[in-house]
Amino acid sequence: MKYKINLFLLTCLTTLHLQADDLHASLFNDMKEFNTIATQTKQNEHYQPYIISVFQSKELEYLGVSNLKEALMLVPGVDMATDNTNTQTPIFRGSNPSAYGQSKLLIDGVVVNNLFFDAYSEYLSMPIDMIKRIEVIRGPGSKVDGINAYAGSINVVTYAEDFKGFESNNKVVFKYGSYDYGMGGFVKNFQIQKLKGHIDFYYQKDNKNISSGPDGLAQGSLGTANVGLSQSGDAPLWLDEYALGVTLKYQEFSLKARLLQHKQGSAYGINFALPQKNDRVKLPSYYAELGYTKKINDAHIDIKVGAKYDIFDSEAKLAPNNLNLSGIVFSNGIYGEHYAKQRVLYQSTYLKYKGFTNHRITLGYRVTQEKTVAMKSKLSNLTTGDAALVDYTDTLPFFDKDAHRNVYTFSLQDTYDINEKLSALYGVNYEQTSYKDAGFDPRVSLVYRQDFKNIFKAIYSTSHRNPSWQEMFTKNNHSRVGNTDLEPEKVTSYELSYIRNFTSDSYLQSNLFYLINKNQIYNSAADPMYRNAAKTDIYGIELEYKGHIFPNDELYANYTYIDGSYTVEDTRTNSSLPNVAHNLAKGYYIYHFNSAISLGTTLKYVGSKERTPTDLRPNVKAYTTLDTALNYKNSRYNYNVNMSVKNIFDTDVRYPSPQNSYVDDYAQARRTFLIAFKKSF
Amino acid sequence: MIRIFLFSILFVQVLFGYNYNSLLLKADATIFPKIMLMDKKIKNKLIDNKIIYTIVYDQCDYETAIHVKEYIENTFQKYMDRYPYKVDLAEFSHLSLATKASAFYVLKSSTENIKKAANIARQKGIISFSYDINNLKYDLLFSLVIENSTILYLNKEYLHTNNIDFVDSLLSMVRFIGKKSI
Repeated sequence: MKYKINLFLLTCLTTLHLQADDLHASLFNDMKEFNTIATQTKQNEHYQPYIISVFQSKELEYLGVSNLKEALMLVPGVDMATDNTNTQTPIFRGSNPSAYGQSKLLIDGVVVNNLFFDAYSEYLSMPIDMIKRIEVIRGPGSKVDGINAYAGSINVVTYAEDFKGFESNNKVVFKYGSYDYGMGGFVKNFQIQKLKGHIDFYYQKDNKNISSGPDGLAQGSLGTANVGLSQSGDAPLWLDEYALGVTLKYQEFSLKARLLQHKQGSAYGINFALPQKNDRVKLPSYYAELGYTKKINDAHIDIKVGAKYDIFDSEAKLAPNNLNLSGIVFSNGIYGEHYAKQRVLYQSTYLKYKGFTNHRITLGYRVTQEKTVAMKSKLSNLTTGDAALVDYTDTLPFFDKDAHRNVYTFSLQDTYDINEKLSALYGVNYEQTSYKDAGFDPRVSLVYRQDFKNIFKAIYSTSHRNPSWQEMFTKNNHSRVGNTDLEPEKVTSYELSYIRNFTSDSYLQSNLFYLINKNQIYNSAADPMYRNAAKTDIYGIELEYKGHIFPNDELYANYTYIDGSYTVEDTRTNSSLPNVAHNLAKGYYIYHFNSAISLGTTLKYVGSKERTPTDLRPNVKAYTTLDTALNYKNSRYNYNVNMSVKNIFDTDVRYPSPQNSYVDDYAQARRTFLIAFKKSF
Repeated sequence: MIRIFLFSILFVQVLFGYNYNSLLLKADATIFPKIMLMDKKIKNKLIDNKIIYTIVYDQCDYETAIHVKEYIENTFQKYMDRYPYKVDLAEFSHLSLATKASAFYVLKSSTENIKKAANIARQKGIISFSYDINNLKYDLLFSLVIENSTILYLNKEYLHTNNIDFVDSLLSMVRFIGKKSI
């Protein structure tokens, strides 16, 4: 009997123990899973060894933010620049506003910068409704293995990211606004047994033409004999594009693919001569990436292979009637067709290992082959002055049709949790190319969590930017001449950050940064060949606050101060940073009147910008814009209506133009309105 | 007109709730009931042989409370471990010692309301979970914070009460915190 009682008690205790063990294991797994989701969705951004800002597009929709560009304008330290082809690019912390490619754009982890400019202007119009989240890392480095951004990296996360148990993101969207803007699109996620899929599609078009000029001819961009031919008028800045994104996941395999057919007006003209209304540039972009990921005990292997195509395809009137070039008169002007198709093939393998206590080691490589696969160059007859097009592909190409480059990148990185409060990330990238090598780019980052409210970061990092195709291989052009002897631009960055968390959703972050930039690539109208012409030292501070005034509102504000010096390598002359706003302030406020109606307001201030030392024009004027949006959400039928007015006070916003081009800079859109309808399923 | 606008702002403020992080709400809804089950004295807290998990909310947070309730009911199909359960909603204004509860999950509210909920939880000898870690300083017991990893905080000053006795393995997972550190 005694034996039976003992056995019974033992069984009960064992059962209780097993039950507690099961619960403990279950709890441990839950915490691990939420930790993974939090890391993946950057909800623990403040603890990451980067200076990072994350914007949830559902929040931005309340503000009437329409596309990626408008969202990026809210990021601390980020300003926007454009050029004569309206290739727009975000400028991070005032770092070389004339260069593209100092920042990288990734869509779901795939780099989409085009090879031609190393820019991603064609993706800046991506509707916010197709985007789930935007993660912006300021400073060198990026979160994606083997991708070494220079001044910043932007990771756009689409609704392909889907976690079990979270609400559906399926929806249709329609928009209508100023300049006859119209947009339609949808997002659809699906699952067929073990196959998970995501599709997004959008089409958008507008008829934007903005009064501009006088064009660059007035400043002698096509010679003093043609100054009198300068024109003012509407610059064609219209847009016509559609895109399809597909993501498929089957067990360890994945496919990420996107097709973007982007067409835009020829803006301010390839040669700074105002083009015709229907002149256009096509910038299509296609990519497909296959992935295989496998976890084996403490090791995790991630293999990717991908192909990306981008095209520069321009058809435009390049110079006005009666242009005189070296005595040849083009009575009907000069027309041109330029086409260059680039292909990037890449393969990467990265191994992450967590087998050593408190260490997470990442080791791997990325091999990239970049190549121009097609090129055509047609111009009006340069011998007779006849406007009819002549094929100059072989005799006077605008581009090197054999352009190619191989890039090999090796990475080693360790994240070491020294103790409960202090962790370190250190590592190095080594890169070789078939032109000038970047060599080693080391990085060290420390994160100290004093407690859950106080976090300190110290970051030392280096990076580089390889010259773009345009900077290396452009030929026979009046405003741009390529140079294959260019060294990569190099940056050494020192950053300090302090984050004060007030609650789980309110914080104040302050960052100090000091950037030493060497081999900065510049050209000018006077000297159109790209050269490693300058070095810049940039320092500044960023302040960022997010929180509430009332329980039912959201307040976000940031301020950035940027200063530094710009040294021309040849002459050793020093000046202030050209075309850089020293003061940037942005913020938004959303007030929820009730669960259905909310009002959002966005304020942006961009300070004045000094010119290059030889440019005698007055500074580019500072501007302030105010946007407002009213949002109605119907929970019963699951639809949203958003009405917004941008630049409500009709402020004159101008982006700086180069010297001897558009003397009054590049005018941007004034007051506009937008109505958006979204139905979720 | 301005008066109407200001009035409407003040009036509608009670209609729309505090801001919540949806991931943290989901993590709370998944993890907290399991922590409750790691109390060796959970049987003493059953009401009619059931666990009653009570979400304590401000009037303006009704939608959030419903959302959490639904998430818990989807996560735990009729049973929490081997115990049948029910998720109840209780407004701060209706909260009293008579409120039936095996545990409280306390959403955001005024300091006065939080103190009231914490006081009732202590008197009833039940576990209290807080959405907002700042409210541990008002004597609630547990809160979850998404830091570099997901951290479970336990108010060390109110751990040792007669009616709550956690299994040792839980205590090895939590991070103890005192009022002064909050």
